[in-house]
Amino acid sequence: MNAKKEIIIISIASAIIGVLAVSLVWFGNPANMGFCIACFIRDTAGSLGLHRASATQYIRPEIVGLVLGSCLLAIGKKEFSVKGGSSPFTRFILGFFVMIGALMFLGCPFRMILRIAGGDFHALFGLAGFAVGIAVGVFFLKRGYSLKRTYKQPVSEGLIFPAIQIIFLILLIASPAFLFFTEAGGGPGGSHAPLLISLGVGLIVGALAQRTRLCMVGGIRDFILFREKRLLIGFGTILLSALIVNIALGYFHPGFGTQPIAHNDELWNFLGMVLTGFGSALLGGCPLRQLVLAGEGNTDSVITWVGLLVGAAFAHNFGLASSGDGPTDAGKVAVILGLVVVTAIACANTFKKKA
Amino acid sequence: MKEDYIATFYSHYEAMCFKKKCDQQKIPATLMPVPRDLSSSCGTCVLFQCEENLLSFISGEKDDIEMIVKCEKSGYTYKYQAENS
Repeated sequence: MNAKKEIIIISIASAIIGVLAVSLVWFGNPANMGFCIACFIRDTAGSLGLHRASATQYIRPEIVGLVLGSCLLAIGKKEFSVKGGSSPFTRFILGFFVMIGALMFLGCPFRMILRIAGGDFHALFGLAGFAVGIAVGVFFLKRGYSLKRTYKQPVSEGLIFPAIQIIFLILLIASPAFLFFTEAGGGPGGSHAPLLISLGVGLIVGALAQRTRLCMVGGIRDFILFREKRLLIGFGTILLSALIVNIALGYFHPGFGTQPIAHNDELWNFLGMVLTGFGSALLGGCPLRQLVLAGEGNTDSVITWVGLLVGAAFAHNFGLASSGDGPTDAGKVAVILGLVVVTAIACANTFKKKA
Repeated sequence: MKEDYIATFYSHYEAMCFKKKCDQQKIPATLMPVPRDLSSSCGTCVLFQCEENLLSFISGEKDDIEMIVKCEKSGYTYKYQAENS
């Protein structure tokens, strides 16, 4: 595939993803949150009872669809390749703190774009922090950072994660009493598009992201490393298409005032996304990319998902997540701790002597 | 005759080291993202030009290399693939 053709495919796929993401808001998802990997994993953690924040509990079918869309296309294209073993526990810790950073900011990098496309200027500070975090990650990449190689694993190992997503879907449909669901109007978890629409959009976005390797981190990282614009064009096209649809549907409310599911503490918007960008650069991809890779059979990305899930549970059990009122003191401590830990991981895997 | 090859790696740094090695051997080499039609993973690869008989010499420490392919009009021909990858 030549570069020009690849850019065209990425642009079309990203435009579709932007439109679909905003359409989910039209169908019932929270404002500026058609898609948010961090928020949706957090909602799923809440529904499973891993945290008890009653406003954020719902098994999000978008995540199920995303993983299955990637998995099915990878199998169809003979790209389903089961591998893992590249510093799994380090990846768990990185995933944990990527979530802490995202819940400080109130959104993953994907939602950051959607927030900007909705006119939420607070998210611009998040974008600046995200870029800085990736640049710091690139600094370590250029000096030898590596979590070591992956190894081939049995196919059954790679199928467990997609199977778990199918179980989540069955649980959502059955809605047994032991699960927790936010009531309508009770918070972001109570706002959602109809199940089949969320699932369908998830499947399409998962397949498109698998085909294009779309990654919010990859766009900025590749531009810094190689001046390569392909993934960055994807990033920009999602922003542009979401912006156009937001304007068309009357969802575009530009400004620094009160924005949906956002706060106005710009320093912590910035620092939260520094942590998310830095951690994601060390992981080799943003949370969206991690789910797509997990669907393709990468079990290291599955471990990262576990880290994200546990991070979300901790964030709400210990009051680390921000709200519309702003960040919490505990959340600020957690982000600083996260920056220290992620820096220590980067140093330990960069400057140690070769075995 | 010089041909185009692509080497992929397990980390960006290993790709950088390989590129340095090529530079020392005066072998034209470029760092770039792994082409999508070669792999669904998104690491760094090195596109380099050399004669086939030099391939084993310049690849040297193959522990760091995931695979080497020859670029042809019809696609890629696998020249080396790390064990268990």
